[in-house]
Amino acid sequence: MSARIYRRRFALNIVAQTLASAAALLALVFLAWILWVTVSRGVQAIGVALFTKITAYADQGGLANAIVGSLIIDGMAIALCAPIGVMAGAYLAEYARGTRLGETIRFLNDILLSAPSIVLGLFVYVIVVLPMTAATGGSVTFSALAGSIALALIGLPVIVRTTDEMLQLVPSTLREAALSLGIPQWKLTVQVLMRAAGSGIVTGVLLALARLAGETAPLLFTAFGNNYMAYGPLAKMASLPAAIYQYTNDPNPALHAIAWAGALLITVFVLALSLVARALFASRKTHHD
Amino acid sequence: MVIATDIIDSGQRRSRADARHDAWFRWLLRTCALLVLAALLGAALSTLWGGREVLFGDGLRFLTTTQWNPVENIYGAWAPIYGTLVTSLIAIVIAVPLSFGIALFLTEIAPAWLRTPVATAIELLAAIPSIIYGMWGLFVFVPFMAAHVDPLLDSSLGRLPLIGALFRGPPLGLGLLTAGIVLAVMIVPFISSVMREVFQTVPARLKESAYALGSTTWEVVWDIILPYTRQAVIGGIFLGLGRALGETMAVTFVLGNAYDLTASLLMPGTSISSSIANEFNEAAGLHRSALIALGFLLFVVTFIVLLIARWMLRSLKQKEGTA
Amino acid sequence: MTDLATAVHRGPAPAGSQPAAAQGADAARVKIAARDLNFYYNDFHAVKNIRMDIPERKVTAIIGPSGCGKSTLLRVFNRIYAIYPKLRAEGQVLLDGENILDPAYSLNRLRSKVGMVFQKPVPFPMTIHENIAYGIRHHETLSRAQIDERVEQALRAAALWDEVKDKLKRSALGLSGGQQQRLCIARGIALRPQVLLLDEPTSALDPIATGRIEQLIEELKRDYTIVIVTHNMQQAARVSDLTAFMYMGELIEFGDTEKIFTKPDKKQTEDYITGRFG
Repeated sequence: MSARIYRRRFALNIVAQTLASAAALLALVFLAWILWVTVSRGVQAIGVALFTKITAYADQGGLANAIVGSLIIDGMAIALCAPIGVMAGAYLAEYARGTRLGETIRFLNDILLSAPSIVLGLFVYVIVVLPMTAATGGSVTFSALAGSIALALIGLPVIVRTTDEMLQLVPSTLREAALSLGIPQWKLTVQVLMRAAGSGIVTGVLLALARLAGETAPLLFTAFGNNYMAYGPLAKMASLPAAIYQYTNDPNPALHAIAWAGALLITVFVLALSLVARALFASRKTHHD
Repeated sequence: MVIATDIIDSGQRRSRADARHDAWFRWLLRTCALLVLAALLGAALSTLWGGREVLFGDGLRFLTTTQWNPVENIYGAWAPIYGTLVTSLIAIVIAVPLSFGIALFLTEIAPAWLRTPVATAIELLAAIPSIIYGMWGLFVFVPFMAAHVDPLLDSSLGRLPLIGALFRGPPLGLGLLTAGIVLAVMIVPFISSVMREVFQTVPARLKESAYALGSTTWEVVWDIILPYTRQAVIGGIFLGLGRALGETMAVTFVLGNAYDLTASLLMPGTSISSSIANEFNEAAGLHRSALIALGFLLFVVTFIVLLIARWMLRSLKQKEGTA
Repeated sequence: MTDLATAVHRGPAPAGSQPAAAQGADAARVKIAARDLNFYYNDFHAVKNIRMDIPERKVTAIIGPSGCGKSTLLRVFNRIYAIYPKLRAEGQVLLDGENILDPAYSLNRLRSKVGMVFQKPVPFPMTIHENIAYGIRHHETLSRAQIDERVEQALRAAALWDEVKDKLKRSALGLSGGQQQRLCIARGIALRPQVLLLDEPTSALDPIATGRIEQLIEELKRDYTIVIVTHNMQQAARVSDLTAFMYMGELIEFGDTEKIFTKPDKKQTEDYITGRFG
């Protein structure tokens, strides 16, 4: 009888292990599938025209304005959220450790990290696009600036969190050593601790960039889109994700091909960034242990 | 002595300047940190304000009625709410066992050399921009569902009593089920990485003593690891749910954008986020207000779900801290 | 070591500011005096009613079993404990007769007078040169040449100059543990303090590096008042002029090192020194 129980337990174990391995395999299959589709369809439309022609030419054109627009909007977004995020993270790690306010902000920051990006887009629509429209009598409505503010809200919590975590990893003896030389806390924070946590903070900024560069939903009603090249922060501006969205919704298969090429560009950019960030992070962790 | 007092004076002046700079710096940093609160609060208040006409004008009727008619300016949000809930539920039902299996594989089954590369690969799924999921869903997965899965479901599960109605329908490929599956693939990396992380917090001695008693891997997982980590596992699931509820681009293309309510999961539907994405730029007046009101609803619901998730995961951090 | 004379020309405060302490030709002036000093971590009473006079330009060692409060006591002398919440000190610590626990006593001034070296070497993530210049620049406005001079003086005083003079622009993190610790000492004395607090400065070092640090302490005491916490009794016996034995937060015995180690007055001291301790 005990042999039968043993056999049943053994069989159950084999089944469970097989299913678990199959689950992991399935996830890898999906990853490979999605990447394969993106690469194989994307490369077909990659050519000089993709980078030199603007979307106004539709299926005879490229994505030049969207690529430039994405660079501008993403760059402005990072320029907005990196300093604010680093300072907020430094506040949590250096000034608010163990305080109620600090814990609350840390907790809510984690929620902002997964908040629906489309609502952040609506938020910026209400607080930036509408007032600007009203203030300029409608000559400025949607703008690259509004788009980058929306994206900054997506990058912000990523940077806050990594900065906070990285500064907490810095041994407290370094703080004591600097303070015992009479160095004030602000200098300690900026010149010693942030330097010690430097690569970790850079990792956070890269992760934030990877995160916000792929976002589409918040751009639709902030930066809107533009079939022509635009450079000004107050202009409607094209972006890769928004252009892809527009082309995917179009029935014209030639536009789908261009959309795939754009998708490949974004995917390569975002995955490369996250892999670099990951490598930086790993080297930093082992460095500290 | 003159020199000595000079030194003291300059020291004190420096000291006072330091204190002043420290106070400024602290104020600056705190302002930045408070921006995080302002972002959340602002998102809630601004969407509440933007949607006030509908939220306060129609009240509950907005939530419970199903007619969404921009021509007549009548807005009942039940269809998108239903779509959001159903697709997220499907995603959770699929993603939770998958993620559990993956976490189990990565912590107990896979040989050590395989763990990091597989874990990294699965986390890369989370890094892929959601619009790529949407495109892949529309151009690849929808035809796949239409050709293979939908007919199969229609002819098998669709014949069953009661639940059969859920799986009957034409092989469109588009629809709630497809959207749910795409969402599931998207949230698997989030749930599985939380599960994996918490499984690793189980003290080795606990597992070892169970193995020493002759327990199988499955028994150790089911009887030791899962009870030990239950709360954080639930937190991870809620985290995934929060993601699923708020996701836009992955579902917008594959839902079909239809306001009809049907029992079948194979039929097109809509969701809160895809309604906003699809209609916002053509909407004006009350229509726009209704869409912003939908955004407010979405924000409140995800906020609560994420609040629960973080609360559950917070106790995990404390457990780690004391261990 | 002739550089040292210039390195510390500021030296002690002018004679006469503390007449009560001078008791004889070789009896040194009191540099730090603790009066009814108590210290609490939350509700834990870590240091109890300490009364001790630490003489100028001597090495005073504080010994005792782990958790006896010796490091805590040291950390009161430059108020470094104040960076953590819920720690508090009561009583008085007089530095040249002034109470440093008085909130009005400027931390800036205190910390430029009292330097500290920690258990583990903690170089800043900067170059070797920057590590030393950083503190100087904060406290004084000097020309580049003056700073270079001060850096060299400090490194020479810490017996590190010859080893690093060709790589001042390299990261301090590349130095060996012993070199890093001497760098930290150099960093401390570059501010020309009057007191150096050493908190188990050799516990993370190998015997050879430890020997060099001990030799350095011997040389530094000509110009500085040194207080060293150590759990290594041989080290206390080797480097110090006076030894304080602490147990359970109390100062059990304090006197000449030779006396403490040969015929202590208290039974507890003797038990600890002879190793008959739980």
